[in-house]
Amino acid sequence: MNEKKDLKYGFFLGCVAPNRYPMIETSIRAVFEHLGAELFDLEGASCCPAPGVFRAFHIPTWLVIAARNITLAEELGVDIVTGCNGCYGTLRDAWYELEHEPELKKMVNEHLAKVGRKYMGNIEPKHVVQVLYQDMGIDYLRGFVKHKFKDLKVAVHYGCHIVKPSDKRPWGGEYECPTFLDEIVELTGAKSIDYKDKFMCCGAGGAVRTAVKEVSADFSREKLENIRDAGCDIIIDCCPFCHLQLDLGQLEANTIYKDMIIGKPYKIPVVYITQLLGLAFGIDPNRLGLVKNHDLKGVSPFIPIESFLEKVKDQLT
Amino acid sequence: MTETEKQIKITGKEKPKIGVYVCHCGINIAGVVDVFKLKDYALSLPDVVLAREYKFMCSDNGQSLIKDDIEAGLVNRVVVAACSPRMHEPTFRITCKEAGLNQFLFEQANIREHATWVNMNDSEGAYEIAQDHIRMAVAKARMLLPLEVQRVSVEPSCLIIGAGIAGMNSAIDLAKEGYKVYLVEKTPTIGGHMAQLDKTFPTMDCSACIITPRMVDVAREKNIELLTYSEVVDVAGYVGNFEVTIKKKPHYVDQEVCTGCGACVETCPVSVGNEFELGLAPRKAIYIPFPQAVPGEYTIDMENCIQCGICARPDICEPDAIRYDDKPEFLKVKVGTIIIATGWDPYDPTPLKQYGYGRYPNVITAFQMERLLSSYGPVLGKPVRPSDLKAPHSIAFLQCVGSRNFREGGNTYCSRVCCMYATKQARQYKEKHPESDVYIFYMDIRAFGRGYEEFYESAAENYGINYIRGRIAEVWEDKNQNIIIRAEDTLMQTPIELKVDMFVLSVGLEAVANAAEIASLLSVQRSADGFFMEAHPKLRPVDTLTDGIFIAGVAQGPKDIPDTVAQAKGAASSAAVLMAQGEVEIEPYYSVVLDQLCSGCRSCQSLCPFGAIDFDEFRKVAIVNPALCKGCGTCVSACPSGAMIQNHFADFQLNSIINVAVKQTSVENGAK
Amino acid sequence: MSENVDKYIKRKVYTSTNSRIANKFVEAGLEKMRACINCGTCSGSCPSGRRTAIRTRSIIRRALTGDESVLEDIDIWLCSTCYYCYERCPRDIPVTDMIIKLRNIAVEEGHILDSHFGLANNIFWTTGHGVPANGEANKKWQDLRESFGLPPLPPTVHMHPEAVKECQDLMRSVGFRKLMDNIEEKKAKEKAESEKEEGAEEKQK
Repeated sequence: MNEKKDLKYGFFLGCVAPNRYPMIETSIRAVFEHLGAELFDLEGASCCPAPGVFRAFHIPTWLVIAARNITLAEELGVDIVTGCNGCYGTLRDAWYELEHEPELKKMVNEHLAKVGRKYMGNIEPKHVVQVLYQDMGIDYLRGFVKHKFKDLKVAVHYGCHIVKPSDKRPWGGEYECPTFLDEIVELTGAKSIDYKDKFMCCGAGGAVRTAVKEVSADFSREKLENIRDAGCDIIIDCCPFCHLQLDLGQLEANTIYKDMIIGKPYKIPVVYITQLLGLAFGIDPNRLGLVKNHDLKGVSPFIPIESFLEKVKDQLT
Repeated sequence: MTETEKQIKITGKEKPKIGVYVCHCGINIAGVVDVFKLKDYALSLPDVVLAREYKFMCSDNGQSLIKDDIEAGLVNRVVVAACSPRMHEPTFRITCKEAGLNQFLFEQANIREHATWVNMNDSEGAYEIAQDHIRMAVAKARMLLPLEVQRVSVEPSCLIIGAGIAGMNSAIDLAKEGYKVYLVEKTPTIGGHMAQLDKTFPTMDCSACIITPRMVDVAREKNIELLTYSEVVDVAGYVGNFEVTIKKKPHYVDQEVCTGCGACVETCPVSVGNEFELGLAPRKAIYIPFPQAVPGEYTIDMENCIQCGICARPDICEPDAIRYDDKPEFLKVKVGTIIIATGWDPYDPTPLKQYGYGRYPNVITAFQMERLLSSYGPVLGKPVRPSDLKAPHSIAFLQCVGSRNFREGGNTYCSRVCCMYATKQARQYKEKHPESDVYIFYMDIRAFGRGYEEFYESAAENYGINYIRGRIAEVWEDKNQNIIIRAEDTLMQTPIELKVDMFVLSVGLEAVANAAEIASLLSVQRSADGFFMEAHPKLRPVDTLTDGIFIAGVAQGPKDIPDTVAQAKGAASSAAVLMAQGEVEIEPYYSVVLDQLCSGCRSCQSLCPFGAIDFDEFRKVAIVNPALCKGCGTCVSACPSGAMIQNHFADFQLNSIINVAVKQTSVENGAK
Repeated sequence: MSENVDKYIKRKVYTSTNSRIANKFVEAGLEKMRACINCGTCSGSCPSGRRTAIRTRSIIRRALTGDESVLEDIDIWLCSTCYYCYERCPRDIPVTDMIIKLRNIAVEEGHILDSHFGLANNIFWTTGHGVPANGEANKKWQDLRESFGLPPLPPTVHMHPEAVKECQDLMRSVGFRKLMDNIEEKKAKEKAESEKEEGAEEKQK
């Protein structure tokens, strides 16, 4: 039997997950509840701020707004957990910098004082996957697996900011070939397949998508080509922005680069890690955002995932 | 009463007449503080009878100033305020001695390294510190007592650790000069890494051809006692008189009886990775490292041997040389000098995952390539790639693997030989396969030595080797296990994705894995890069800071064969200087027991880290062996009766310094 | 005649280097940039570089030699901050941080894409989110949230107008508002000038 763990976190939502891919939000909430973790809402949280754009525009603003978001969790006395690589990048890098540069911490608190806040630096920003892998651990998770996929080939996409900069991440400096997300995926019985340039960036971040969409679309086109070449059923990721880039990005690649695509246009279902885990845990797919129960046009997911649900329905033993 | 005690008594009754000599040291001191004001300050101190200043006290003229004053009877204590005593204390001591004053009645105040050099922009601060140092030196000078240097004899024998090209050269030179040499080598054969090389740059001499004559010389030299498959396990003593314990590891094959016929090898059922071939070929548990090994007898690797008994059968080993019950032997020798020639280990590139070493079979290190190119290597000099054993049509080299890397876990230094060895290997491969494509990816090409630039030019012009300036970012493997390389051609400002059949990593050189152990065994220091530290990077490249111990070859830092041989000869020469003199002076900083105060508690004896204290059972007092005593002061602070005095650093001498150091004195404005 | 001049004559010779940009890095504690030996590991690792004109190494080089055009180039905005260059640089230079700092300098001097400026000045400033879901234009996203059993707006700034104000106060305090105003002014001036030029050209025709 799994020992009860003291798992309380402030849930930092970010922007893309709640506002464009709410299924990611629901699946995180469902899985964490199932695992006995408590998620507290961080009322009034803003954009983290997005590292690619806002940090690029003005570093002090980025630092101050990030520190403000962290104080929301400090007030509740819990660590922050986020399901987004970008938010993780911002919150973690800001936390690291404020811990190591007392001058910066002083500057930030001078501004925060004006709105009645104070950054203490006594909680740790964590990623959903970090909590699953480290705070809870593979053995703990294994205890909750009810169904195992028999024949599911998964292309795992880590993204960038969950592993790099490696000196500010909890993976012991490993960034060339991490395995933690593959390990979580394989708990469910699915097979993580190797593909060319597995750890390549999706192209959305760093302000590229908002600067020149066609450039980020070429990133995802290349990734999709490599993934399709290796043969897989679905793509698994742990970041809503990567998720958007690989999901909506398939439509973009299919149109902008249609002459470069060998074979049919891309139509690979993109699934968030907690959605896959939730299925293996036996959680109702409705709670994982896997079932479409609306008639809205022009919303996510842009690549339908019904085919994935159909495929695995009989696979779950 | 001993001569010394007599002298001390006489001197103790004398009134100190201190002469202070302030050095300008060019602009090093005079450019920061007013040396004339310093001189006047010195003169104002009690017991200072004269003070002078001079541009360079260490010069002949400067020294003459001191000599003349001593000979005229004007001074009987000398203080020189100048550079660090590490620089010129010996110089001025000799000056005093030659003028007839005991050389230990001299004290040096460091007003350069400790005052002006560290406060170049703060003249006032530097002046204050300089004053303090002069005041303290004068206070000590008042309390100085005459001492005599000890003379110890130097054993005319040398221990050389490591029998590679450096160790062998030092050994041969010393042996020819008539000294006894103990040449200790931890592997079963001499020759070191040079035996693993095929050709050497820039002359393309066959390495084995130039080294085997040396190996044979070593074996033949009567003065050299060759101890292969042995390790130094303990070193005690001091310069001229080291007591070394050497462990001769058991071969499990009688070295006197074995004829080296090799019949045992065929029948041995155990195969393991061959270290000499860097894992590219197997060897048996009973083996000889390579065909031309010296000595030519066999060894059993008992860790892997299963003692099946086949090789011991009389029809296999006719001379009956197998000895499963062999034990290690310990040899104790006394030597006068030691030379460390332990060489290097290649950098292991496994942690650099972006290069795929250890994951992709067709990624190898340059030292493995060297074995592939070698005519007595695993493929007899016809290189093939590991995945399909076919000769590669295209090869890429990457320079600076593990070197010039400022990241954590990397070596920041340049390994010096890799640019040249890669050019050499590339050229060798092109000679065997002129139609092949060979690339060298580099950041810089360092072709510094004699004939090197010409060698590099010829590699490009005559052999068509492609030099691409761009450090490789990452590689991966395609379906046929070819290696695809990603880099930027920085000179063309273009990204490259190049497919090659084989990828060779030009790995750097590192200090041997057990360098820390050796350093602690011999009490020598290592530099931050892990190699053994020379006493002075420019002027004393083969000495260590431990008297009597020298270093040679890559043990002191990466270098090519010509520099290694030169340094080995230099180390031999330095060792010979000591041994030829037959005697060496040791500074008299040892502790002395005041018999009348000693209570016989023996605390000092138990605490002495150098085993320098004995106990006289008859008189029930401690006795210090001056030659073994290193002057660490442990016994002085431990003695509950205050019966231990440290020569030249006695409590009353140190107290006088402390008293004036903290006394408030008025500081005149000596700022420039 | 002048066609060939425009086509072939390129006077790109620099007679001195300019450390203005490099000094800003030194002031910001990023003097490590000066240790760059142009080995090309960064460019070699760059996923953007092999599909665009961005050359990471060149960006650093241009900043060091004081080639001001690097601040106006789109190149520095095509980096996806994947951090491979940062991880692999043999001189241990935090390359990605350098690019981010360069972007800061560029923005400070008014060089920012319209799309980015709109994102910062209109969306981030007014809503507090980078990708908002409030307002009529975003109704479908609110409906989507509801279809999954979530409240139509998340408990972020979207449900707390006082939090939006707090963020704006902070942004004003730390100088973001001023920065945006300066850029707006600069862009308006540039627009007016280019319109004047166009008008003058039109008249000539």
